[in-house]
Amino acid sequence: MKYAPFFGCMITVKYPQMEAAVRKTARNLGMELVDLEGFSCCPDPIFFKATDKLTWLTIAARNICIAEEAGLDMVTMCSGCTATLSEANFHLSTEPELKEKVNQRLKRIGREYKGTISVRHIVTVLRDDLGIDRVRESVKRPLGGIKVGIHYGCHLLKPSEIMRVDDPDYPTILEKLFSAIGAEIVHHEKQALCCGKACMSENIPEKMTYDVLTSLKKSGANLMGLICPTCFDEFDLGQIKLSRKYNQDLTIPILYYFQLLGLAQGLSPQEVGLHLHKTKTDQIVEKLAGSN
Amino acid sequence: MGKLCDFFHYQLMSSKSINYQFKKKLNSTLGGEAHSYCYQCGACVGDCPAAMYSVDFNPREILLQALLGDEEALTKKDSPIWNCTNCYTCYERCPQAVRPVEVIIALKNICYQKMTASPEVNQIVESVKASGRTVRITSLSDRRRKELGLGEIKSVPTDELKELFEP
Ligand code: SF4
Ligand code: SF4
Repeated sequence: MKYAPFFGCMITVKYPQMEAAVRKTARNLGMELVDLEGFSCCPDPIFFKATDKLTWLTIAARNICIAEEAGLDMVTMCSGCTATLSEANFHLSTEPELKEKVNQRLKRIGREYKGTISVRHIVTVLRDDLGIDRVRESVKRPLGGIKVGIHYGCHLLKPSEIMRVDDPDYPTILEKLFSAIGAEIVHHEKQALCCGKACMSENIPEKMTYDVLTSLKKSGANLMGLICPTCFDEFDLGQIKLSRKYNQDLTIPILYYFQLLGLAQGLSPQEVGLHLHKTKTDQIVEKLAGSN
Repeated sequence: MGKLCDFFHYQLMSSKSINYQFKKKLNSTLGGEAHSYCYQCGACVGDCPAAMYSVDFNPREILLQALLGDEEALTKKDSPIWNCTNCYTCYERCPQAVRPVEVIIALKNICYQKMTASPEVNQIVESVKASGRTVRITSLSDRRRKELGLGEIKSVPTDELKELFEP
């Protein structure tokens, strides 16, 4: 199955270990990623969207046009890119007047939004196109004994009328994917809380991060599993700062789903870039080595 | 019902009358038009993380100010609207399809026009105009990609993007 991958800014530039993990694991799953030329920032659904929604939609539509011209569905690896591109695709394909306005601008660069492809977060491709069984079968080294506390993040699920991925209050998609690779899921109280990254206050996100981390610590999880580089950005550095501030050990390794999938498929910690994380991941590596 | 009383109370107690001009402006900003459907039920508040973690933020109150057209409160520098975490929970909860978060983003668009937006917003736009990306490429990012066996970062045709910023 062929898809046009859209890695966005955060993964491409700041967290290339996530891109490496996706490329290597997708190959093992039989997913063909066809790289296209000319993508820009999605653009960012928080700050850029805050400036002018029409410009935001137009630049998003330009990215979608590139995939339309190639006749491929887009897969996104970041919940933020997923939000922007899915929202744009939804509004432009259901609101003709809006589409007309956007196409007037796109005409200047010889492009036209048609509404012929879909945009999907890669985890939905795993669940719906490849199937959980295929994910399970790709595993060579199940993660027996590793306890994962999931952080869902917001934009994979909400707004549900646009995302259509899962029940936004009782989702199961990530539980299914983490279980398939042999992880034990531990539920924690703040599993559904937002990462707070988009909030401009200093105090609010800090308190939220503190609560997510203490909730994870209490649950006995060995690591936090997530699917969005922006949430990762908030927690990876955030936990070190907060541990210092509160003089309390709030550190816990954070892994992007595809890094953990890679380890389960037999890739080395270096190949999925675990050494690039701020939070130490040694315990996970040792635990994995011990269980095999 | 209590909330509706709030609305009248606010009108009685404040010397301000409804600013229809501003409401019209909000109506003509994408996503702002649904603000008038708000009947102040408060369903958007309970699971709002920004409201949970701060007494100064409440989406129902923001919608009340929008109903009254309180331009000053909503679009001044450091307006509370910037404390929204963009989590979209209120979008799920609102029985009136107001999409409170989209109204808040429409208000942010108005702030941007009035140059009262948060400075980070301007930085992001400048960065996208200059390089097509929000994150700056450095020698470290190049080195890391190489080490992981990834190709070089492709440049973005910024000349195309520039054309799209003009109304
Ligand atoms: S999107 Fe903003 S207003 Fe809506 S629930 Fe989340 S934080 Fe609250
Ligand atoms: S925005 Fe919707 S949920 Fe919030 S108070 Fe108004 S009608 Fe109720």
